[in-house]
Amino acid sequence: MTSVGVRIEKGPPPAAPVPRRASWHLRANAVVVGWLGLTVAAALAGEVLPAPRWLLIHVFLLGAVSTAVLIWSEHFTVALLRARTPEPRWSLARLALLNAATPAVLYGVAVGPWPVAAAGAGVVVVVVLWHAAVLVRLVRRALPGRFGHVIGWYVCAAGALAVGGTLGGLLAAQVGHGGVHERLHAAHAEVNLFGWVGLTVLGTLFTLWPTVLRTRMSERTRRASAVGLRLAVPGLALAVAGLLAGWRWAAAAGPAMYAAGALAAAVPLAEAVRQRRPHTGAAWMLGAAIVWFEVALAVNLVIAATRPADEVGHALEPLLPAVLVGFVVQVLVGSLLHLLPAVLGGGPARFKENAALLERGWVARVAALNAGVVLLTLPVPAPVVLLGWALVLAPVAAFVVLAVVALLRSRALAVPQAGAEPAGGGPGRTAVSPALAGVVAGCLLTAAAVVVATTGGPGPATAVTATGARTVEVTLAGMSVRPSVIEAPVGTVLTLRVTNTDAQRHDLRLATGERTPLLAVGQSATLELAPLGAAVDGWCTVAGHRAAGMTMRIVPTGALARSGTGTADGTTGAGSGTGHGTGHAGHSTGGGPQAADGTVGGGGDTGAPARLDLAAPFSPGWTPYDAAVKPAPGGTEHRVEIRVQETEREVAPGVRQRVWTFGGTVPGPVLRGTVGDVFTVTFVNGGTMGHGVDFHAGANAPDGVMRTIQPGERLTYRFRADHAGAWLYHCSTMPMTQHMANGMYGAVVVDPPDLPEADREFLLVQGELYLGEPGGDGQVAKIRAGRPDGWMFNGTAAGYDHAPLRAEAGERVRIWAVAAGPSSGTALHVVGAPFDTVYKEGAYLLRAGDPGGAQVLDLAPAQGGFAELVFPEPGTYPVVDHTMRQAEGGAHGLFEVGAP
Amino acid sequence: MTWWSVVRFAHVMGAALWVGGQVAVSLVVLPLVRRLLDGERRARVMGAVGRRFGLLTAAVFLPVQLGSGVALAWRGGVTWASLAEPGYGRILAAKLALFCAVMAAAGLHGWAAGAGRAALARVMAVAALVGSVGVVLLATALPGT
Repeated sequence: MTSVGVRIEKGPPPAAPVPRRASWHLRANAVVVGWLGLTVAAALAGEVLPAPRWLLIHVFLLGAVSTAVLIWSEHFTVALLRARTPEPRWSLARLALLNAATPAVLYGVAVGPWPVAAAGAGVVVVVVLWHAAVLVRLVRRALPGRFGHVIGWYVCAAGALAVGGTLGGLLAAQVGHGGVHERLHAAHAEVNLFGWVGLTVLGTLFTLWPTVLRTRMSERTRRASAVGLRLAVPGLALAVAGLLAGWRWAAAAGPAMYAAGALAAAVPLAEAVRQRRPHTGAAWMLGAAIVWFEVALAVNLVIAATRPADEVGHALEPLLPAVLVGFVVQVLVGSLLHLLPAVLGGGPARFKENAALLERGWVARVAALNAGVVLLTLPVPAPVVLLGWALVLAPVAAFVVLAVVALLRSRALAVPQAGAEPAGGGPGRTAVSPALAGVVAGCLLTAAAVVVATTGGPGPATAVTATGARTVEVTLAGMSVRPSVIEAPVGTVLTLRVTNTDAQRHDLRLATGERTPLLAVGQSATLELAPLGAAVDGWCTVAGHRAAGMTMRIVPTGALARSGTGTADGTTGAGSGTGHGTGHAGHSTGGGPQAADGTVGGGGDTGAPARLDLAAPFSPGWTPYDAAVKPAPGGTEHRVEIRVQETEREVAPGVRQRVWTFGGTVPGPVLRGTVGDVFTVTFVNGGTMGHGVDFHAGANAPDGVMRTIQPGERLTYRFRADHAGAWLYHCSTMPMTQHMANGMYGAVVVDPPDLPEADREFLLVQGELYLGEPGGDGQVAKIRAGRPDGWMFNGTAAGYDHAPLRAEAGERVRIWAVAAGPSSGTALHVVGAPFDTVYKEGAYLLRAGDPGGAQVLDLAPAQGGFAELVFPEPGTYPVVDHTMRQAEGGAHGLFEVGAP
Repeated sequence: MTWWSVVRFAHVMGAALWVGGQVAVSLVVLPLVRRLLDGERRARVMGAVGRRFGLLTAAVFLPVQLGSGVALAWRGGVTWASLAEPGYGRILAAKLALFCAVMAAAGLHGWAAGAGRAALARVMAVAALVGSVGVVLLATALPGT
């Protein structure tokens, strides 16, 4: 029995009594099979898991593969050296430690605090070093033999995992960011795959491969092994050092040396194949695995030679299925196919029976698995990738099932009459004790109930109707997601534009299932969410990043206020809360950007209007909207393109605010013509959400031209201005309050026939100012309540106080006015100069020369008109909305009237 | 302290006694019976214990649990429709389903014990015990109670 896997040409291992080690292995292999089952489950669970890719890889490699390597390398060492079995108690202790450390790593990286993962990685390193020490001691104590060379591979492999595990611990602890992180990652993957797994497999194949083929071992094996190991290990060390230090030559030369070593080791394997063709499932699987390994080596070599060290990891990613499934899974399953019947024991008949059971349908299984690997490796469309997964998972699952059956069957034989009550159930049929079966049944029932209880199905109660749309810029940088909290009214259809500005790769995954692909530096992706119902968590699925704080939360409006937490992060991007307190006091001291943030924070969050300091200076470089209107251009056809832009503007002294605009300004461009003119507007949505436009000056059915168009779309809006007046145009997308309150309005001026010429013409479009994140909770509350933070002429509160409009005494000045609202009109008044002409909504209320005069041009929301006056003498004349609250809130400007 | 406290008390107490009774029988009585008594008498004692516990379950615990549970649900405004909603309703529904399964297992245990199918009886007894612990787990998971 000591020669299991080595001298199988003698026939199946002897029958009973099953030696002690065999039962030890039996149990241990059950652990491997269990991890394999978990791997299949993890692959099937897919997106449900917190870090799906990483978990899948590590459940398989750290769970199944590492356990298998630990068991089998010790077993083979004992068998090959004909050494005495080391104390099983300690072997079991190592195995137990590894299997305790693995969940710690999995948990710590996927969800828990990183120290758990780092501690787990530390335990793995300790276990594997211990394992290596045991192997070395076995070699030292053993007599020199033909197979001692294999143990060198195992010891080196253990050393590789010690290095790889340390690197993994560093990764879990988030040591090093950006390029360093990427290089650590690449080195970690390289040393674990090609070291721990690769070296072990190569070493094992020297003896296993001829055994599986049932042929003689080549005479050259020893020499090939020595040469191979001497090339592969330094090559691997060089590759890892090169990746870590960023030496490209080393990162390329290392894999080359390693590949040369692997080729040297493959020479006796090829010789064995020449002697005897593979004829069992195990042989074919192992053979295919070796081929995939060579493919992986070649690709790895090319990539390491052509890419800088910090891109190697990323570039190697498409290779993962080939390495993991093609090579590692096949080696593992192939070896178990061959080894399990021997381990299960039970006599020649039982051996044959088990072998036949495990190999059932092996041709189809091998073919499906390898076809699946090809599909997973090639850049094929998503449905084909799914097919690839199915092809890969089905054979693995089949093996797991067959292995479990074989294991249970042998257990049933090993412990006959296990049931205490052999009465009714029939002995031998159920090897499992009734108590255990009962516990399992009860646990399954409970688990099913818990699953039903905790999963929210799409019942009628959870359906949320869309009430609005909003786009939020999300930035991934510096181990955080910004904004970390997004607040939106229930029913909002959120679109997240996710950009990775970090020097390492990230993604964003939401609890509702939406996820971005892994984003490289500077890449962006867009996530369209379902209408917001309950709070949604988001996080980066890259291993350890969630634990390091890369999380975010999307909260329905009001949920935060109820829970009493602050929402400083609710503002887009910049809102890190720096100016939370300065909102009220900051502006008088100096303005500047941080004060601006403060206002956004203070005003936007609490829902209470902020107090603007209108006397504060504007930022250097601020220019006011030009209030002077040019006369109507000639011609009766006007073509204009209006492009929606979401931008940031200074809306009050020192206060910057994100605004949605027609053409980048608030108000949008002024369209001017005379009665009967035709305007052809090309309306382009350059924003991030749906917008539309509604020209009051035209007469069109709203269905077509006023429809909402999506980002990137355009429409042509043609209207004839049949009626004179100052007309409003505005965004026609619901909720219009938000679109208009955030700046989407402008004016169309259609001159009445025979409009006398004026010396100067100005246009004032009055609108309300709502601070805070556009569409954010606080802002929307203020818009709904009609409690603006300020009032603006031409998009700036008190702008013309700081940049006065100029005129000269004695000139005729015409002031066009439009009240954009959305909720308040205006009572336009010039202090010190009565109007002698008032034209409101298409009709003159007063003409120059009439005996009467007017003090106010009053406009309800969306009304327009003009007033004319002559300044009597040089001076400074305020122009205000005589609704004094609104004047003091920013609807205030100055005419500086000079001498003629 | 209102009458509703009494109803809740009855519900919690009934559950505690029923689960606790199962635990006591499974972990205390039966192992001792197996160790101390021989064949004939063991079967008689175990049968008697089972019948007594079954009788108590059917005559006392089940009516008390159902009555007090329905009353509490009615007071909590639970409707058939609300049982499907995620959260409270869903957890309650799962708990009720598990409770039904546990009762089915207990019934099956009684039948199997009577029919001499000891292994099945044992499986069902343990499953019922573990399942009723699960019921308690789900009960504690109900929000706001």
